[in-house]
Amino acid sequence: MTNITPGLLMIVAAAFVPYLPHHIRQVFMLIAIGFSAVSLFAGEGVHWIIFVFGQELILHNADNLTLPFGIIFHIAATLNVIYGWHERRPMEHTAGLAYAGAAIAALHAGDLITLFIWWEATAITSVFLILASGTQRANNAAMRYLLVQVASGVMLLAGTCLYWKESGTIAFGAMELGSTGTWLIFLAFGIKAAFPFLNGWLQDAYPEATIIGTVMLSSFTTKLAIYAFARGFAGTEYLIWIGAVMTAFPVFFAVIENDLRRVLAYSLNNQLGFMIVAIGIGTELALNGAVAHAFAHILYKALLFMSIGSVMYRVGTAKATELGGLYKSMPLTMIFCIIGAMSISAFPLFSGFTAKAVIMKAVGYEGLIYVYLVLLAASAGVLHHSGIKIPYFTFFSHDSGLRPKEAPINMIIAMAVASVFCIGIGVMPTQFYQILPYELNYQPYDASHVVGQFQLVIFAMLAFTFLMRFGFYPPEISSTVLNSDWFYRKLAPRIGKPFLLIANKIGVGANAFLIKFTKQFISRISYIYQHPVTGPVTPGPAAIALITLLMCVLLLTNIF
Amino acid sequence: MSNLNQRLKKMGNYASVSLVIIGICLIISEFFVHRHGEIKLEDFPVFPVIYGFSASVFIVVVGIGLRYLLMRKEDYYD
Repeated sequence: MTNITPGLLMIVAAAFVPYLPHHIRQVFMLIAIGFSAVSLFAGEGVHWIIFVFGQELILHNADNLTLPFGIIFHIAATLNVIYGWHERRPMEHTAGLAYAGAAIAALHAGDLITLFIWWEATAITSVFLILASGTQRANNAAMRYLLVQVASGVMLLAGTCLYWKESGTIAFGAMELGSTGTWLIFLAFGIKAAFPFLNGWLQDAYPEATIIGTVMLSSFTTKLAIYAFARGFAGTEYLIWIGAVMTAFPVFFAVIENDLRRVLAYSLNNQLGFMIVAIGIGTELALNGAVAHAFAHILYKALLFMSIGSVMYRVGTAKATELGGLYKSMPLTMIFCIIGAMSISAFPLFSGFTAKAVIMKAVGYEGLIYVYLVLLAASAGVLHHSGIKIPYFTFFSHDSGLRPKEAPINMIIAMAVASVFCIGIGVMPTQFYQILPYELNYQPYDASHVVGQFQLVIFAMLAFTFLMRFGFYPPEISSTVLNSDWFYRKLAPRIGKPFLLIANKIGVGANAFLIKFTKQFISRISYIYQHPVTGPVTPGPAAIALITLLMCVLLLTNIF
Repeated sequence: MSNLNQRLKKMGNYASVSLVIIGICLIISEFFVHRHGEIKLEDFPVFPVIYGFSASVFIVVVGIGLRYLLMRKEDYYD
């Protein structure tokens, strides 16, 4: 039983989900996730190989890197089921379970072809979480999302083929950047990890998904890419610089964005940057940091998306301009949101602190001063847009006049469990570090580090207060902030349209010419047919055309 | 002004004052705790205080600038 790839059972179970009555379905999904998790106990090693067309496909490979990701993906899938318990329509549940299953199965792929299959499966299953919104806007976003995700898959496949040709293996292990094949694989991962300028899909699509859908989406796709980088490209120096840019530039966008789910999508992007930097460094300490951060990040990011989702469920919007003063109506949601906010801001005693500290230590140890300073500034930025902006504009700020009920009980439970994890990881770092890939003897709680971190976050908060009090803080405005999806949503059509119009004109002209030519040709033949030169009868226009053709062939063969 | 708005304002005042007090305590604590960072620059007295504050202000200022460059009407893509 433990030989079966983790996640596969969830995909199979998802096929039955639409046919089950509501509450039974939810329990059934929890059981499926539980059984899938049993395979995590298989231990390290290769557990399942099949042969297809003479290729060895490793469906279940487990090691110290797959385990922490496997654990957190199962936890996230479970939280999603609880959070979405109230939803009676089966579409999101089916897609969500299959999506989580595909992501978990992808973690355990031992070769690039298997990885590709699950890579595409995550794209195809997750798009339904956006489509489930049912609006035209969501449909369009879903199609753009799918195009980008499938493009990533195609690049992965092309890269795999080239890599196989040059190295003779399709095993998914550490790769050296250099050939076209490895670059294609690198880019395929980069799209899914939302690299700068390849990130448009994330902020475009996630906020358009359903309330439960966004929570589900936030956990898997990008972290699968992080895992893939950790396995394939650990120690690749480019990643340090790409990651540093990634931590910094979404911060500015998040400050001026009005849709709070989109703000969270930007902050998700910035968090991925920290992990990418760590993977770029590639030492055992750094990789531990990347995995610890991914683990903690999935929980607090889901918690933040859940709390904003709960608000959206009650009042129908997640726009900062339309929210405010909800702390009295939704006090529990407010508390959970603040726990998520403090975790992502890396307050001591919260998960972000114990996870991020490892990455910062690794960066400092390597002496990458500029990168360190960028990450430190980005940490202040995270505090700004996720730590303060999200809870402040939702629950405080001003009275929006909204008086909703508290979130449904299932949402409260899911948020409470996620909160317990966030605080648990924060207060028990030693236990938390035990699940990391490599041994880590590190104690984040010393007076120096705690005081330093408090100084950073409290003075970043004071800056916010200062700017707010003196009216320097940019007011929330309902607007669209341009992001890198602008290139394919506006620029490409704008450049492409004249070319398409010209091509269209040429096509129409050529078509008209062909029709005219054919007509003339036929009329010539009918003329010859009706005015025979040879005397009695000719068999018909077709025969004449054929004879003409044969004559041409004869002439041509004679000439050449 | 509604009742809730008054309460929110009051809470804001309390929060601001307590933040300032905590901030002062943190600066004072610098004299009692031997603080050292991962890089040398961080060992500079009250470095996180200065860096945290100025980085935040910088981010907001750049954000305001970005608005002129990147902000469009809500129905821009529709």
